[in-house]
Amino acid sequence: MADSFSFEAIGTSWRVDSRAPLLPRQRTELLQLAEEYDTLYSRFRQDSGVTALAESGGHLPLPRHGAALGALMRTLHDLTGGGVTPLVGERLAAQGYDADYSFVPTAPPSPSRAWDDLLDWTTDGVTLAEPALLDVGAAGKGQLVDLMVESLVAAGHQDVIVDASGDMRRVGDGSITVALEHPYDASSAIGTVGLGSGALCASASNRRTWGDGLHHVLDARTGRCVDTVVASWVLAEDAMTADGLCTALFVADPVELAGSFDFDYVLMYSDGRARFSTPLAGALFS
Amino acid sequence: MTSTGQTETPSTTLAPRTAFPLHKRVLTALAAVSILGAAGCAGAEAESPASGSPAAEAPTGATTTAPTSTEEPATAAPSGSAAANDPAPTAAAASDQTYTDGTYTQTGSYQSPAGPEEVGVTITLEADVVTAVEVEPMPDNPTTTMYQERFAGGISDAIVGKKLDELAVDKVAGSSLTSGGFNEATGKIKSEAQI
Repeated sequence: MADSFSFEAIGTSWRVDSRAPLLPRQRTELLQLAEEYDTLYSRFRQDSGVTALAESGGHLPLPRHGAALGALMRTLHDLTGGGVTPLVGERLAAQGYDADYSFVPTAPPSPSRAWDDLLDWTTDGVTLAEPALLDVGAAGKGQLVDLMVESLVAAGHQDVIVDASGDMRRVGDGSITVALEHPYDASSAIGTVGLGSGALCASASNRRTWGDGLHHVLDARTGRCVDTVVASWVLAEDAMTADGLCTALFVADPVELAGSFDFDYVLMYSDGRARFSTPLAGALFS
Repeated sequence: MTSTGQTETPSTTLAPRTAFPLHKRVLTALAAVSILGAAGCAGAEAESPASGSPAAEAPTGATTTAPTSTEEPATAAPSGSAAANDPAPTAAAASDQTYTDGTYTQTGSYQSPAGPEEVGVTITLEADVVTAVEVEPMPDNPTTTMYQERFAGGISDAIVGKKLDELAVDKVAGSSLTSGGFNEATGKIKSEAQI
């Protein structure tokens, strides 16, 4: 890769590699995309749209990409019987994963509030019947990866990777080899996969942990942390879908998702076993 | 159409497939792919011009591929369990067909995390085209059904892993770098907590 651009955005490290030079205005646009996205959705910022909704409810207008995110969240919500929902935000915060990173649970685990009673996500934006803290972490980072890739492709880049600390999307000929980081040992990998043009996302529950068995992946149906699945990886066409499926795989069987999405996956359970879709049978070390 | 009753009612043999629950259709599609793979190869070896492309289209179930041969000899209803991979020689010699029409059932076994388990696969062949596939789990214990639904992929033993520095990779997909804000905050707590 001829040119590389690293930066911090939405609370994580990003790295963009491209065969062609990444021009200053293109770099600026990437940072702007991240800033706009963060301003809409971050529940860790006082000035974000999501924070305003949490304080007073009402309507938050969203740009065009908001409709795609809402549609995906709704599909995942329906396929997981409510296990995935943006309304998990207030439950995460109540478990201590809040804007101040207090890491002190303030309420016992409880199911997220029901989508239909509270939340209307249309092509125009989000409307809340009453205040609620939303969290689009299930697929938001992936969508921002997509927006950056699309921006770079529109600027003429034909061989480019956007990597948001393990959630990545690539455009280009051939393929690269990506290691699947061992969830219990960051210096090891459980396998490798090839990434051509498409997205690979990863999610693991063991990194963002606090307190007694608390981490950032909740089953919204119970409000409790998922402890059977410890990590998931998904290969899909776009990063928003791959990211969302990574989250959904913590609370749903892959077979339940296979009818609605075209993807490959690896799941790792807390006992160290792994499950995988057939095309990835050779990807894991055994 | 003188040989078997099944060839005259392809649509009824297809109909139940569309009503399958989703997970079952996934399994069915997989079974159809593997079985058709075998049928397609055998058909090509026999240089049967009609057998290749209809067979490839059959598993989609979108259209009913009607049998085209009208000359298949009246043979006994096949019952051999390996029939799908074992063309009936009389049928192949007497017509364009490689396989005798009929319904074939094969039982397979595999090693599940719950122990050895069996699964039954039934296919219906008409004019060398698979017109119906059914996969029937045969669970011996309560956990088996769950594992058989995972047929779409596989389950490994406990993964040991390899050291990253022993691998030639371009990228790493994981969570070790996730959420700078989170790591910063936990780091701060650690330092504040230090005496």
